[in-house]
Amino acid sequence: METPFIELKGITKYFSRVIANKDISLSIGKGEVLALLGENGAGKSTIMKVLYGLYHAEEGDIFINGEKTTISSPKDAINLGIGMIQQHFSLVPRHTVTENIILGNKSGILDHTVLSNQVRNLAETYGFNIDPDSFIMDLSVGLQQKAEILKALYQEAELLIMDEPTAVLTPQEADNLMAFIREFVDRGNSVVFISHKMKEVMKVADRVIVMRSGRILGNLRKGETTETELSALMVGKDLPFLENKRRRVSEIGVDIKKLTVLGPQGHIALENVSFSIGKGEIFGIAGVSGNGQQELGDVISGLLPIKSGDILMDGKSIKDLSVKERIDAGIGYVHADRLTAGLVLEMSLSENMFLKNSFDPAWAKHMFINRKKLNGYANKAIEDYSIKASGNDELVKGLSGGNQQKVVVAREVDIGRKAIIFDQPTRGLDLGAIDYVHKTILAERDKGKCVLLISTELSEIFSLSDRIGVLYSGRLLGIINREDADIETIGMLMAGYEPQEGNTHES
Amino acid sequence: MSPKMRDLIVTTFLSVFLGLAVSGLMMLFLGADPLSVYGRLFQFLVRDKYTFADIFVKATPLVFTALAFAFTFKANLYNIGAQGQFYMGSVAAVFISLFLGGIVPGPIALLFALAAAIVSGGLWGMIVGYVKARFQANDFLVSMMSVFIALALMNYLLRTVLIEAKREYPQTDPILHDLYIPIIANGTRLHAGFLLAVAVAVLCWIFLYKTTIGYRIRVVGMNPVAAKFAGIDAGKIFVIAFLISGALAGMAGFTEVNGVQHMLVQGFNPTIGAEGIGIAILANANPIGIIFGAILFGALKVGGQILGQTSGIPSSIIEIMEGFVMLFVLISFYIRRRIEIRREIKKLKSEAVQ
Amino acid sequence: MINLISRAILMSTPLLIGATAEVFAERAGVMIIAIEGIFLIGAWGGFVGAFTTGSSFMGFFLASGLGVLTAALYGVLTVKLKQHQIVTGTAINIFIAGIVTFFHRVLFGVPLLPLTIEPFRTLPIPLLSKIPILGPILFTQSLLTYVAYIVAPFGFFILFKTSAGLVVRSTGENPESVDVAGIDVERVRLIVILIAGFMGGIAGSFYSIVYLGMYTSGIIGGRGWIAFAICFLGNWNPLGAMVGALIFGIAEALAIYMQSSGGGILPNELFIAMPYILTIVLTISRKRFNVPTKLGVPYIKEH
Repeated sequence: METPFIELKGITKYFSRVIANKDISLSIGKGEVLALLGENGAGKSTIMKVLYGLYHAEEGDIFINGEKTTISSPKDAINLGIGMIQQHFSLVPRHTVTENIILGNKSGILDHTVLSNQVRNLAETYGFNIDPDSFIMDLSVGLQQKAEILKALYQEAELLIMDEPTAVLTPQEADNLMAFIREFVDRGNSVVFISHKMKEVMKVADRVIVMRSGRILGNLRKGETTETELSALMVGKDLPFLENKRRRVSEIGVDIKKLTVLGPQGHIALENVSFSIGKGEIFGIAGVSGNGQQELGDVISGLLPIKSGDILMDGKSIKDLSVKERIDAGIGYVHADRLTAGLVLEMSLSENMFLKNSFDPAWAKHMFINRKKLNGYANKAIEDYSIKASGNDELVKGLSGGNQQKVVVAREVDIGRKAIIFDQPTRGLDLGAIDYVHKTILAERDKGKCVLLISTELSEIFSLSDRIGVLYSGRLLGIINREDADIETIGMLMAGYEPQEGNTHES
Repeated sequence: MSPKMRDLIVTTFLSVFLGLAVSGLMMLFLGADPLSVYGRLFQFLVRDKYTFADIFVKATPLVFTALAFAFTFKANLYNIGAQGQFYMGSVAAVFISLFLGGIVPGPIALLFALAAAIVSGGLWGMIVGYVKARFQANDFLVSMMSVFIALALMNYLLRTVLIEAKREYPQTDPILHDLYIPIIANGTRLHAGFLLAVAVAVLCWIFLYKTTIGYRIRVVGMNPVAAKFAGIDAGKIFVIAFLISGALAGMAGFTEVNGVQHMLVQGFNPTIGAEGIGIAILANANPIGIIFGAILFGALKVGGQILGQTSGIPSSIIEIMEGFVMLFVLISFYIRRRIEIRREIKKLKSEAVQ
Repeated sequence: MINLISRAILMSTPLLIGATAEVFAERAGVMIIAIEGIFLIGAWGGFVGAFTTGSSFMGFFLASGLGVLTAALYGVLTVKLKQHQIVTGTAINIFIAGIVTFFHRVLFGVPLLPLTIEPFRTLPIPLLSKIPILGPILFTQSLLTYVAYIVAPFGFFILFKTSAGLVVRSTGENPESVDVAGIDVERVRLIVILIAGFMGGIAGSFYSIVYLGMYTSGIIGGRGWIAFAICFLGNWNPLGAMVGALIFGIAEALAIYMQSSGGGILPNELFIAMPYILTIVLTISRKRFNVPTKLGVPYIKEH
């Protein structure tokens, strides 16, 4: 058999709390697309970061073209022709595309014009429509990713490792990326495609390796396996079907009228958005992140000011209420960024449950916090939501992602007596936690609350929403009942095709 | 005792010991023998009641300035201006003391002086908080600059409005005896200000950890984004934190003027602001730990003075000892963290084997 | 008047050197809180070197050396041991103050009269210094001033037109991008800190060698902090630092003039406080655009 391009043997890696990789052995051949499939936290990114020299493994070896090699830094990896496009781009937003690409690749005095042209030519070779002198922070996420890829190409990479590359792309942009991958591989190069999305993996990969809890559970050629088998390997258990009966709703709870909101840089984040959420209804907002979703959640909860339009709750305008007042009015908000916006990591579970209650006199007598009441409240949340913690005094930073999210959900669900906004509620969670959050969302709806579900996971939107709207560039394109919705239409809307125009899309 | 607590105590003692040891090495440059020097120092401290009590006298203002830094530190703010707020508190205390002396009965006047120091220091500190809240100014820089401005202001007042009747030196007249803070230990100059300091430290602890406002201050300090989402007004918190912080530093002015100096002169206690920061660091901004840290620094200061009197070692040895202790404590933070990480990895490896 | 402007440029010299050093460090993400201590040890070291050998250049040499050592201590604690920058800097400032006073005693005892050295003479540039008005102002300064006003624009060039500068700026904006490019973030920061120590030491030595001709304990009096502030006010740009340094140089020159000529109704202390009040006013009125995104954040990555 031909010596594989790259081989990893027996790699084991620890972090201060977790065993991230246990005895991983795999090989990557030239001209092949290898997919690493697994849920969040399976260890897929970690093993590739070891290969890329970002992490040092505790045990194991790396072989390049049969020779044992030590990769102690990304510089070594780059010199060996390995490039990595990470989930969080390592670009400098305040610098230009060119500056980002030449960082580390050019020394001495810089002639910006010459270098810009070099980048431009490289971009054109691969059909990337990107201006080398534009600032990264002004580019769309899809274009930023192209800049990252260009950097690897500039460094003459023969292996491209891509970590969840389609997480931030529209379906059409994702297809674009797949086409690039095929072209790149046809030139004799290799790609490692890390993902948790089965459909894409089946579309683009030649071989699939399934990982779970830091171990390899399967290493199969695409033709030799099915989605069911892969799914079983990924999860290890069967997921019960989610009961979701849609009810007839008559009363409107939250009414968004012609809402226009400006973002922090002064650009229009939401434009003339109108929709309503009934009491006991889940309204799903689909769309690629960055199209106004976060601003929608922020403006309803009172963090962003309204430029024009109104938000009504139970028929009364709330647009002049402060954040505090909206919390009192019963609006809960599970923010997309739970670590920065939803929790204080260095505080205990109890203290985190107190986050939005600190102004409520029911919890404090003359400024003194009623600890017993607070601890009781926290204990109840731990029990009701099966939060795995050593006690209500455990620091939240010690909890797993799923349990942290449960704390946030428990709190917001309680605060949200009338309405709850969920923004990316299951991002980064394992399947068990995802299931739990979904059940909670449905339960809250059944209590008669207005639920706004914002998510980039279409499967989640489809399984939970009663009605679905799509946000594109700050505009709400179309509101569809769930039974009338299908992936193609939603995908078109997500890419900005207005309902009456555009070509039909072939899947 | 948890291993973490054990590490903390062991490394703190080790840092202090190493700090003193290396300072001792410095003494060699002066031809002195560190062992005999320290020996003599220890004898003095233990035998002489006056000297021993002086440790707490010196510790008193340090508790306040350390609390001042720690308080704003909890809100992720940097009050480097405690020295200046202390000056403002001193000015207010001495002014009220001179003004009310003889007119109002002693104890009442004393309370007024304390109140004046609190208000004066608090307002001076609040300026920084307001500027930060309103203009997003850099609190580090502004508070730092406010010290020099306060110093200039104090010197000006000492030369003009507050100057002694003789008009010979830039200092005030002494205050009347019934405006002295009462001594609590005969034969020493240990005054009730120390008890005030301890009480205030405990109050700070209660305020930060048991009240809603204290909670909100900590939230703003740990995660300003989450604070915003919780409806907490960060600007208000900045102002409150700096107000309290300045008031704390101002109290040091009261204890030093009414408890120790009994007047106001130029250039007194020029380092307690910075030392307060150092103590707050040692104690990781914990009010109870600050009491102990201040006593330690108080001991270093008294020790340094004794060394100067008995062994001819210059008083700058005090700053050297403080500096070395602080540096070793910083190193110990790092070492403790490494031990902690290694412990966790070992626990994982043993769990993995099962 | 001409004297005043000439003085202003003179007084701006150490502030400019210190501020340029701080700009480089902060562009890489590190605040040199120890700058006051570095200025101090520079002033002292400069005096000791010049006094003991009779040569000003030995003074500069010692000053810069001690500055580098101090900066190295700061760098190891903040970059390698990831300790808090403000906390570490404050500890070092206290420490250096003690060390300097102590060793001054060790070396010189307690002299009855202050020790002096020959102040570093001004160096008129031939021909150019003869130009009316501009001559005395611009071209009759000390060597250190010429150096300062060359280093600043040179610093600008390096920062924005070379790959080294790009690396430094990227380190302060997003250290991960630099790490991924295979460059050691810690190494970049340490190098920048050491350079800052070198420059800061020289800046401090200005006060003892060029300006006063002697050393006293209050010689720096917060000017390290003013250099620190100028970095902010100059928008993290060496050219902006030039403007800032000149403004403060003028403030200082004015203060000295006012004090010596009686000052009139306004009290002395007001002029002493002027630079600091100015700093606060400018800090408030300027909206900072170019704060390096990751300023003050230690870079931690798993290994």
